[in-house]
Amino acid sequence: MSSSLKRWLLVAVVAIGALAAGAYVAHERSSSGAASPAAVAALMNLALPDAAGTEQRVDQWRGKVLVVNFWATWCAPCREEMPEFIRAQKEFGDKGLQFIGIAVDQADKVQQYVAEIGLNYPALVAGMSAMELSKSLGNDLQALPFTVVLDRSGSVAHTQLGILKPEKLTSLVKALL
Amino acid sequence: MASIATSTGSSRKPLRSDALVTIAAVVVAIAVACASAAVRADSKLLPAEQAFRFSARALDDSTLEARFAVTDGYYLYRDKLAFFLDPAVTTLAAPALPHGKVKDDPFFGTVETYRGDVVVRLPLGTSLAGRSVVLVADSQGCADVGVCYPAQRQKITLAVPLAGKGPGAVVDAVPPKKNWFN
Repeated sequence: MSSSLKRWLLVAVVAIGALAAGAYVAHERSSSGAASPAAVAALMNLALPDAAGTEQRVDQWRGKVLVVNFWATWCAPCREEMPEFIRAQKEFGDKGLQFIGIAVDQADKVQQYVAEIGLNYPALVAGMSAMELSKSLGNDLQALPFTVVLDRSGSVAHTQLGILKPEKLTSLVKALL
Repeated sequence: MASIATSTGSSRKPLRSDALVTIAAVVVAIAVACASAAVRADSKLLPAEQAFRFSARALDDSTLEARFAVTDGYYLYRDKLAFFLDPAVTTLAAPALPHGKVKDDPFFGTVETYRGDVVVRLPLGTSLAGRSVVLVADSQGCADVGVCYPAQRQKITLAVPLAGKGPGAVVDAVPPKKNWFN
C-alpha cells in the first residue's frame, strides 16, 4: 500500500470518527428523556373526551402507526405544524397511520379550533394532566408541541419537542408503515 | 477553526501537500461534527422557571415590585401576565404593565411580548407595614426555537417594611443554581 493511500485512509478514518462523535453528541443532547414501557402503557390505556365530548380510548388505535401530538390552542408553534399533520393523515391514513392530538387546553377552545382548521384526526382534551403524561414519555421540560411516534407494535420510534418538520415526519412514517 | 486551516499556508517551511490535505480534512470533519451538534437547539432549552426568572421586593410599606428576567431567546406574553396576593390581605391595584414589543402573530393577531427585564410596580390597597405577604405571579411564554410553556404560577413571600423604611431585599422565586455546563 502506498504511503499516500495510507494517509488518505487515515484521513477518512479520522473524518468518519469525528462525524460519528459529532452525531453521537448531537443525539445525546437532543434526547430529552426516554419513554418507559409503563408510560406507553399508560398512554394506551387513556380514555379522554374528544372535541365533541365523546370519550375515546387510545387503545382503539392499537396496531396502527401512531403519531401522538401534545398541543394547545395557546401554543403558536403547535398551530403552525397542524396543517402538515392534517395533510399526512389524509395521505397515509388508509395505509395505517393515525394521528392523535392531546390538547393541554379547555374543551371549548379545542372544539372551536378543531372546527376552524378542519382537523381530520381526534383531538382529545386532557387539560394540564397531559403535561405529566408527556413528561413520562420524555418531555422533561413539559413544553409544547411534543410529539411521540409509535410503531405498530406500540414501541416508541421517535419523540420530538418542538415542530416535527414535514420531511422528518414523512420519512419516519414511511419507514414504519 | 478556519484560522487553523489558513495557518498551514505559511511560506517559511511549507508542509507537504498530503499533510495539508489531512489537516484540512480533519478541520472540516470537526467543523461538520460541531455543526451537527449545534443543529439541535432544543437540547439546550431551559425549564420555564429558569427561562423566565421571577423575583420581587417590597419598595415600601404600600408598594411591591415584581420582576421577570427573560432569558435571551425567550419571550413572555404581556396579556398573560397577572399578579395577586394570596391570601388577599389587601387589594392589588391593576398594575401598569409596561408596553411590550408589538408582534404581528399569524395566529393570535397583534400581541405584545416581553424580552429582557420586565419590572412591574404593584401598589397595595392599604399599607401592610411590618407584615408578610405572598405575591403570586401568573405568566406564559415561549422560546424562539418554537416551543411554548404552559402558564406558570409562582409565589414569593415578602416581608413588607415599616412605614418610611425600605426597600426590602429582592427575593427570587427559584434561587439561582450554579450550572457548570451552560
